Amino acid sequence: MSAIRTTGLTKRYDDVVAVDDLDLHVERGEVFGFLGPNGAGKSTVINLLLDFVRPTAGSATVLGYDSRTETTAIRQHTGIVPEGASLYERLTGREHVTWIARANGGETDVPALLDRVGLASDDADRRVSGYSKGMRRRLALAMALVGDPELLVLDEPSSGLDPAGIREFREIVREEAADGRTVFFSSHVLGEVEAVADRIGILNEGKLVATGTPAELRGTRGITESIRFEVTTVPNLVTLESVDGVETISIDPADGGETSESDPSIVEVGVRDSAAKIEVATWLAERTRVRDIVSEERSLVPLFDAYTSNGQPEQSCARTNGQPDGQNGMSTDGRRSRDPEEVRA
Amino acid sequence: MSVRAVVYKDVLDVRRSKLVWIVGVHYALLLVLFFAHVRVTGSDHTSATIEALWGMAFVGGVFVPAIALVAAYLAIAGERESGSIRHLLSMPVTRREVVLGKYVSRGAIVAVSLFAGFAVSAILARLWFGPFDPRIFAGIATLTVLYALAYVAVAIGVSALAESRSRAMLGAFGFYVVTNLMTLNDDVSGIAGIDYVLNGLLDLGVSEGAIEFLGIVTNPTRAYLLSILGVFPSQVTADMALPQPASLPWYVQPEIAVLVLVVWLVVPVTVGLRAFDRADIT
Repeated sequence: MSAIRTTGLTKRYDDVVAVDDLDLHVERGEVFGFLGPNGAGKSTVINLLLDFVRPTAGSATVLGYDSRTETTAIRQHTGIVPEGASLYERLTGREHVTWIARANGGETDVPALLDRVGLASDDADRRVSGYSKGMRRRLALAMALVGDPELLVLDEPSSGLDPAGIREFREIVREEAADGRTVFFSSHVLGEVEAVADRIGILNEGKLVATGTPAELRGTRGITESIRFEVTTVPNLVTLESVDGVETISIDPADGGETSESDPSIVEVGVRDSAAKIEVATWLAERTRVRDIVSEERSLVPLFDAYTSNGQPEQSCARTNGQPDGQNGMSTDGRRSRDPEEVRA
Repeated sequence: MSVRAVVYKDVLDVRRSKLVWIVGVHYALLLVLFFAHVRVTGSDHTSATIEALWGMAFVGGVFVPAIALVAAYLAIAGERESGSIRHLLSMPVTRREVVLGKYVSRGAIVAVSLFAGFAVSAILARLWFGPFDPRIFAGIATLTVLYALAYVAVAIGVSALAESRSRAMLGAFGFYVVTNLMTLNDDVSGIAGIDYVLNGLLDLGVSEGAIEFLGIVTNPTRAYLLSILGVFPSQVTADMALPQPASLPWYVQPEIAVLVLVVWLVVPVTVGLRAFDRADIT
């Protein structure tokens, strides 16, 4: 039985087609990464599934319920982290979760839930107006997890999170998935999707251009990433090769010799998937002083290039990505701020 | 159940909003000032009491809509603009329940802030002017709450229709100006406009009573002021040179005005609810 199924789902705003005849299928129990550049229509699809906006044509079911007529049933069994939705500034974190728990009616261990998303107890008792972006995300996640939902819908879940937060988010997603829950999340960061998703769907200009497991997508197209570390001294790199996911290692200057504060060594590591990046960074940080990290992730542009036929979408992707070429540096660490105007409304 | 969830969060949220309380406190202060004024200038005690109570209704006439609109105009539009409405709609609630929940919570908050003003008024009236007819006082208080809720209903309706804070503000403020501030001057009021269009331009020869009826139907402030006349003994209204209900047709009597206010409680919210039900929340 499918968790999400859309049939010819279309949403048109005046003359802009935000979602174009989308046939999407997400199995129960899988972690589905919904990938696409800002403006591709990911948020609009999520909004359609949750009945925040109404389709121009086509239909969708969530957990077998009709997205237009059985919204209450859908929301009962679905936890949602909406993108760019502000919280209630005058309420504390705990009040947010308690409120949702009351509304859901079931038993909820609020302190355990707050703990699970990494929101400290004294922070939970403060008003949200004093929260950082990361704390807000954690709280939103806690709110979504109330009531043990069968399906988690996360719209750009790790935007605004620091690396530790992103890792925790991944752990939570894996835990949820391990319990047999379906997780549907959108992201414009390829590495993030790769790291957690069982299956990926790539959306471009409102159209689904590819679906498959990360291995399928990467395997056929050979997607890798490289990270450059500026280090003061170069440690013995032999054991780094055995870190899972590491493909290539290179050092500059090649002998790893004389360096200074102003002239550091560069260690460049090519990895097969994003999970390895954190492993590599941790490995190096334990052995030397890392001064800077530049992650040269494969941006979506070449990927779209690969999955769209005639090169025409390439141009529009480059534009929506705000990147003139395939280089898309440091995009995993949230430096690229989220774009709440993703929905073309 | 779901309405209750909306109310629970909203009351928790709004009671920490300073603006609502500032406006509420001003209402009480204004009543105190008015009572002090009557006490200093008033002659004998019986008429001073009546004057004070009439003043209470009149102060309410101008000020209560402002409290109601300020307290409620952002109820839905504000959440829609900030996006927090998505959290609200992520719960098992329907959009209708959101609108109704907001209506209940904002209505309750406005009523509570009015009761503070009533309590102060009752105490001062008793201290400064001696015993008064509790029926008149209760009548004014009840009608004032009804009047406030009619404006809360308008604000909720506007808020449900509006896509942004600025539109909600424009709608609420516009409604206030047209139905309330302009009513203070008969030449520019809506009723003068109705009279001009029907009798001046179209020459339909509509009677004064019918014009008056259209006035209360289109304007809760007029309905309130007419309904208040029913609270005072006719002797009093005659002494104060107020219009005599007895001289007007049956359909512009204070009782009808109360009914009209009740209709105002329902119609704007229903309109807003339907629009919100169809809206795209982006």
